[in-house]
Amino acid sequence: MSEATSNRPINLGSSMNDQATRLDAVAKITGAAKYGRDVYPEGGVFIRFIRCPFGAASLTSVDVAAAKAVPGVLDVELTKKEDGSYKEGQYHGATVGYIVAESPRALHRGMAALACTWKRKTELTTSIDQGVKGEPEVPGAAADVLKDGPNVFEAVYSTQVQTHSSLETHGVSIDYKGDRAVVYASTQGTFSVRDGLDQALGMPASNFEVVCEYVGGGFGSKLNGAGKEGLTAAKVAAKYKRPAYLFVDRKEEHLDTGNRPSSRSSVKIAYEKDGTIKGGHVFTWGGVGPNKGGGGVNIPSQRYSLGRVEKGHEDISLNAGMPRAFRAPGHPQGAFAEELMLDEIAAKCGIDPLELRLKLVKGDVAAEMIRLGAKLIGWDRRVANGSQKSVIKRGFGMGVTSWGRFPASVEAEVNINRDGSVEARTGTQDIGTGQRTMVGIVTSENLGVPLSAVTVHIGRSSLPEGPGSGGSVTTHNTAPAFMRAAQDARGQLLELVAKRAGGEAGDYSIAAGNIVKAGAKVMDWKDACSLIADAIRGRGKGSQKTISEDKTTGTSNGAQFVDLEVDTETGVVKVNRIVAIQACGRVVSRKLAESQIIGGVIQGISYALFEDRILDRQTGAMVNPNLEWYKIAGPRDMPRIEPMLWSKDKETAGPRSLGEPPTVPTSGAIACAVFNAIGAPVRSLPITPDRVLAAVAAAGGAV
Amino acid sequence: MNKFAIAQPATFEQASKASVDKLYSLPVIKAGGVDVLDHLKEGLMEPDLLVNVRRLRYNELGPAGAVNPPIRFEGKQILLDANATLADIAMSNITLGQSPVLAQAAANAATPAVRNVASVAGNLLQRPRCWYYRNNQFACLKKGGNMCFAVEGENKFHAIFGPGPCHIVHPSNLAPALMAMDATVHVVGSKRTSLPISELFHMPDKGILSEHNLEPGEVVTHVTFDVAPTSGFYAIKEKQSFDWPCVFACVKLTMSGGTIAAARVVAGAVAPVPWELAAVAEKLKGLSKADEAGIAAAAELAVQGARPMTGNAYKVAMLKVCVKRAVTIALGGQVPSFSEIRR
Repeated sequence: MSEATSNRPINLGSSMNDQATRLDAVAKITGAAKYGRDVYPEGGVFIRFIRCPFGAASLTSVDVAAAKAVPGVLDVELTKKEDGSYKEGQYHGATVGYIVAESPRALHRGMAALACTWKRKTELTTSIDQGVKGEPEVPGAAADVLKDGPNVFEAVYSTQVQTHSSLETHGVSIDYKGDRAVVYASTQGTFSVRDGLDQALGMPASNFEVVCEYVGGGFGSKLNGAGKEGLTAAKVAAKYKRPAYLFVDRKEEHLDTGNRPSSRSSVKIAYEKDGTIKGGHVFTWGGVGPNKGGGGVNIPSQRYSLGRVEKGHEDISLNAGMPRAFRAPGHPQGAFAEELMLDEIAAKCGIDPLELRLKLVKGDVAAEMIRLGAKLIGWDRRVANGSQKSVIKRGFGMGVTSWGRFPASVEAEVNINRDGSVEARTGTQDIGTGQRTMVGIVTSENLGVPLSAVTVHIGRSSLPEGPGSGGSVTTHNTAPAFMRAAQDARGQLLELVAKRAGGEAGDYSIAAGNIVKAGAKVMDWKDACSLIADAIRGRGKGSQKTISEDKTTGTSNGAQFVDLEVDTETGVVKVNRIVAIQACGRVVSRKLAESQIIGGVIQGISYALFEDRILDRQTGAMVNPNLEWYKIAGPRDMPRIEPMLWSKDKETAGPRSLGEPPTVPTSGAIACAVFNAIGAPVRSLPITPDRVLAAVAAAGGAV
Repeated sequence: MNKFAIAQPATFEQASKASVDKLYSLPVIKAGGVDVLDHLKEGLMEPDLLVNVRRLRYNELGPAGAVNPPIRFEGKQILLDANATLADIAMSNITLGQSPVLAQAAANAATPAVRNVASVAGNLLQRPRCWYYRNNQFACLKKGGNMCFAVEGENKFHAIFGPGPCHIVHPSNLAPALMAMDATVHVVGSKRTSLPISELFHMPDKGILSEHNLEPGEVVTHVTFDVAPTSGFYAIKEKQSFDWPCVFACVKLTMSGGTIAAARVVAGAVAPVPWELAAVAEKLKGLSKADEAGIAAAAELAVQGARPMTGNAYKVAMLKVCVKRAVTIALGGQVPSFSEIRR
């Protein structure tokens, strides 16, 4: 085993299939995998939105005639208000119309010919701080707690806007063929796209199919059904009776396909010097789009005993693109504030923050994880906050996570064909998380055939129905359904075998693709399958009703530990190691589960240190709608990440949620480690060098 | 993106002619194409002719018909072909050994993919990365407009030196290094055949629509400079993969025994041009590697005259650190560095 993976043996034996790699790995690497964005139906038209370029602006002039005169431009649609004036843009990227053309080039030239001029509004709100009207009143009950103290800790924490930055941007490509159509969508919900398109497309859902066999990421931003991209493309396809293609570009993706909203958390907490937290007041703000909603901040998380905490929240409307669900919505924001708050209180009490957490954390599993993580990271090397005399200072920090279980209905089908081929079928999409592989493994394990013998069909609305990829629901709802479907198919096949070879179906089993009786092979797979008249269709369901039977209830706990260094002269933070312990019940695939954790940690590092949607305070325009100045962690920013799958309950549990919990605690743990290193907290994300230098200066200078 | 013709000149002289071809309204020279493509995509310029100079080599064939490498000695001087790539510079034994400041500056830029195509001349002549300049919705000074949006807007990555009215930072990693080495830029297409690199750039008050002083028709063929074995580079970047430096410093020292006899210190990402720090250079004279306090004191002078904007005062502290560390690196000393990550 190479050095690079030497931290992984810890997880060997933890899953149904430890060695399987993604079934679509080669297709994805070679480009054979076709994403919706890759599909250009012949004879199609191209569509592009006309968008507001500032935080708030109205269209004062637009040369529709000139645009329509450009060869290849078919149509310009501008949304008008009742009085005939054009719809105003309330944020940079807000759509006020669209243009249709025969080619991307004509689209571009038509857009230029429109020569839109905009009147900017000068009254803008571009940050939470700008919108906060003073400190909130402390409610009576909290005031009483705070009055009794004996000590009160107060701080304000803030987090920035993070855009999803999916590699594949939002959009659909519709292959329109008269009375039927195929809709190639980049979505987290195959069926939600189908359910919203019939009217726009002008045909019943029975006449079109939604296809999303491969999706280039979503992180929550592709849960909005067909979205305005899909609805617009469908309308245009129906109007011209032609295929239509609408995928947004990178800039539009940053501006108008959702984000993790910014947050501000004001905490006033009463505590005793022994680390007992008595409670107090937490008020949070979320920086959302023009309409309120979606800005919630999950603090207190309920993972710690914090006494009696009164909580208030207000969304602040910004002249900026609207939030959407983003991998554990509201949770990283809250965890950042909560974990750093605990480290600050621990410092006030003179207690090791590990000890404080062991005192406060709820549940034995969480405490056990904390003890193990501390050992793995080498917490005993941690020294007091800001006590090192060197320019490069080391810091250790930690955070915890948890995730519940949301139900979803899944229909699974496992077919055995007469020629011996096996198909596992569900319409649920694979947004990169490994749904395809997971379905294959569960089917192969429960049918008794090798994984290579299973062909997995997913991501089509003509397949059996499954859930959207949101709330970390797919695996723990889908795996039990496929267990049942595979077992159903297996039973049907063994009935045929018993009928032919004698005895009861229960006398036989299937192992490594052979029919076995009393430990000995009695029949080839092919021979057994030739007994099938047509095809065996095994069916299984997963739903709210089967939860207890599936043993998929329970919380996905986790704890993460960070070892980092801070250059106190340059302000640069270098993360050395992150140990990520994560429970997710029974693990289907070791590699994919590890990958999910690693991905969550990477997204958390990027959130903690780099990513930031920057709005121009004068005009409300996002100044960094690209991957140059919207900074995402790169290879050289990566620490050694050690995912540890918590397999204590693997024998007794079914699968539990895994997608969201690993990204929750990372930023808080990093913030705590920075605090440990330099002795002063950086209370705003991202923790960029300028902020670190300011904190170092506040703590009394570099060395 | 607009339609354009593409010219494939066989010589630098042909490229020069094509770049001022009156048949076209806007001929633009393209080398690696990194910056040109960015401009085309954002609609910042609409050239009707791209003059592709990427394949051109200065004196391609050496004695006996052997192909000259893109980086080589010409007499006692080092010669960089205009189309030498950043990857060439980062990996050449000549630059690594004889002008480490340049090799380090090249290695620090962009990503491996960009370094494999980005050329010396393109790196020197690329346009600024200012996010107002790069957004076609902002009619800023550089685009013939009447205001610099950075002054009252988002200027975290803008200049801390210079009176304006435009506050870009010069984007080239190589230019400050070449300035520190007093490089000569060789051109064809005009009466002159070369100019000192210190005369290649101008401040915004001397012409705001461009950053360089080349005349129409002038094409860079190569760059030459004396060896600078005692030289060093240090940059502070937010991200260690694919990021523009917040601040960086390039230092060339001339040693006399163990002490500094002469120094050139040039900072990058702090001003609209590579920013020479003469006071620091003067103060460094006579110091030796062991004189850490003296070096730190000299570095303090780096920020004389700095006028940070509303959001970039942090660069002032960073500049001192970059200068101190670049000098230390030039002297072969150790600067604070992070632990190696064992993966």
